[in-house]
Amino acid sequence: MNQLEIRDLWASIDGETILKGVNLVVPKGQVHALMGPNGAGKSTLGKILAGDPEYTVEQGDILLDGESILDLSPDERARKGLFLAFQYPVEVPGVTIANFLRLALQAKLGREVGVAEFWAKVKRALELLDWDEGYLSRYLNEGFSGGEKKRNEILQLLVLEPAYAVLDETDSGLDIDALKVVARGVNAMRGPSFGALVITHYQRLLNYIVPDRVHVMMDGRIVAEGGPELALELEAKGYEWLRERVKEEA
Amino acid sequence: MQVLDKTQVEAISRALKEPGWVLEKRLKALEAFARLPYPSKKDENWRYTDLSEAPLEQEVETPKGLSLSRDELPELVKRRLEKTDVSGFLVFVGPDLVYAEVPEELSAKGLVFTSLAEALKTHPGKVEATLFRGVYVEDKFAAENSAFFTHGAFLYVPAGLEVEKPLGVFKVLEGGKASAGRSLIFLEDNAKAAYIEEYLSLDLPPTLHLSATEMVLRPGAKLRHAHVQTFGEGVWHFHRQRALLERDAALNDLVVNLGGRYARSEVASELLGPGAESEMLGLYFGHGLQHFDHYTLQHHVEHHTRSDLLYKGAVKDEARAVFSGLIKLERGAQKTDAYQANRNLILSPTARVDSIPQLEIGANNVRCTHGSTTAPVDEVQLFYLQSRGLPRSLAQELLVKAHLADVLNRIPLKALRAHLEAVIEEKVRI
Ligand SMILES: Nc1ncnc2c1ncn2[C@@H]1O[C@H](COP(=O)(O)OP(=O)(O)OP(=O)(O)O)[C@@H](O)[C@H]1O
Ligand SMILES: [Mg+2]
Repeated sequence: MNQLEIRDLWASIDGETILKGVNLVVPKGQVHALMGPNGAGKSTLGKILAGDPEYTVEQGDILLDGESILDLSPDERARKGLFLAFQYPVEVPGVTIANFLRLALQAKLGREVGVAEFWAKVKRALELLDWDEGYLSRYLNEGFSGGEKKRNEILQLLVLEPAYAVLDETDSGLDIDALKVVARGVNAMRGPSFGALVITHYQRLLNYIVPDRVHVMMDGRIVAEGGPELALELEAKGYEWLRERVKEEA
Repeated sequence: MQVLDKTQVEAISRALKEPGWVLEKRLKALEAFARLPYPSKKDENWRYTDLSEAPLEQEVETPKGLSLSRDELPELVKRRLEKTDVSGFLVFVGPDLVYAEVPEELSAKGLVFTSLAEALKTHPGKVEATLFRGVYVEDKFAAENSAFFTHGAFLYVPAGLEVEKPLGVFKVLEGGKASAGRSLIFLEDNAKAAYIEEYLSLDLPPTLHLSATEMVLRPGAKLRHAHVQTFGEGVWHFHRQRALLERDAALNDLVVNLGGRYARSEVASELLGPGAESEMLGLYFGHGLQHFDHYTLQHHVEHHTRSDLLYKGAVKDEARAVFSGLIKLERGAQKTDAYQANRNLILSPTARVDSIPQLEIGANNVRCTHGSTTAPVDEVQLFYLQSRGLPRSLAQELLVKAHLADVLNRIPLKALRAHLEAVIEEKVRI
């Protein structure tokens, strides 16, 4: 029961069906990778998990530790322990990271968080990410480089300590040093009370965050699953062979 | 008792022991007031404004001669005094100046900060040279103020004197009767000062309030001015201000409307000498049935002048706001920079903003931009904030404050900024 379970999920946007029966389970304590070609529906899945109101769920369910979260608002899902690191983090001028993060932490914990407690937490996260304190007083993602935005997502992950995280291409656009830093952040979260679904196109990230399982999504459904070696195979052979196999099966 | 007539004008002037020329000006203003019709939606500058519920012909209060000790000041003022950093201040309650506190050292250097009535006795020449130059009978309400005002503040800063800490005026409206007051600010060459006028009241029955602020800035003078209106419910507030900026003078102006039932601010900067510059900031946030009108004028008369206007606001519930800004460049106004931006956030489908930026250019060698945006809260931003656990209402609150932040950030008066942030926070939660 301690798992994030996606059960026969169908979903659409603007009348277009994007997810066509996704089945996927991430047990707590494990890190899974989700791969697949552009447009397969990976980000769609991430946003639907987080409760993006732009999408309509047609069928199926999402269960967090056995409990359906489909009817919950995005903030309720977050407070239950779900976290999405966005592929394209949103710029919010006028809201500083420090202010926002403290409010988010208070919302998560359901109590006031003193300045001292907050700083202790943030400091640890900053050190882990090799990041300057100065960023905290900047407006949320405003004018950030692609890499800085990704690092900021991991900062939030570390401070909010969710039970389950979906990381949507947090490695894209990162240089190798930044990639290592992000991996360090995620690995620091690893443990029996944390589960993650890491969406990526690149095997290189999986060298640093070694997944327990790899899922492959194509055209809105999971078409293959395997161990870490599946990622290597995809890296070597691309997606065409899988596409062929799916066609044959159909 | 007869209202809004000659007898009352004379009674006010007599009670304040004014010199004859002031009474004459008042009576002339009364003529204009009697002659001018109340504005209606047929007037271009009033077409978005519904005055049908305004207590327009309300009796105007007359001076009572009340004065108070610091301990006896209204709670509203005491609470503000705890958190303000003004170094000297005047308190008006209803029609009267009830309390004044002005640092000795400033008076010793020739600074005058007192009621208009008092200044007419002690510094008649300085008042006569400036009173009514900025605001007189421009429209029905200006004329009503000029005829019936019962109280006013006068600030005079002598040449070269730089006053770092702000001076303040607190006006407490009592309600039930119309109340009219003025501020007259006169800075001599290279003088520098900051002046904050705050308007306060409890929730009141329908009450008319008229205010006028005149600013005369001699060459090189620098003034920071803030008009901050946080009246309670029921108040219909008509404010008009005009700054006359001579060569190299600089004004940093801020107009804030957060309270009242209706508030209208007509704000003009006249750039009369080369090198003059005017920063004009505006901040408003309406809820319930509040309606805020802002009519601004950046009038570039001379060459090498600069104006930079930023008005930002938000409306929720059924609130409405109007921004109508005119940049006017006279033929001689070459090499001028004039900027104008109005940005609005709409928080409910029943709230509404009308924004009308206007440009009238008589010179060709100028840099001029204007723009206006009116948009609902960004759903993508909301989702992002919510996805981190912030309830929708809190996320919205954060976005409102963020929207208003760039005006707040341009206010270097820390205590004032903190006060505005607190009021805004309260309003988002209503
Ligand atoms: N508003 C929309 N209307 C119709 N189709 C949409 C809309 N938004 C997204 N899509 C489509 O949904 C599909 C899935 O997009 P999604 O972003 O989930 O893909 P992805 O797997 O994350 O791809 P990438 O690897 O490039 O990030 C795409 O084909 C996209 O064009
Ligand atoms: Mg994607």
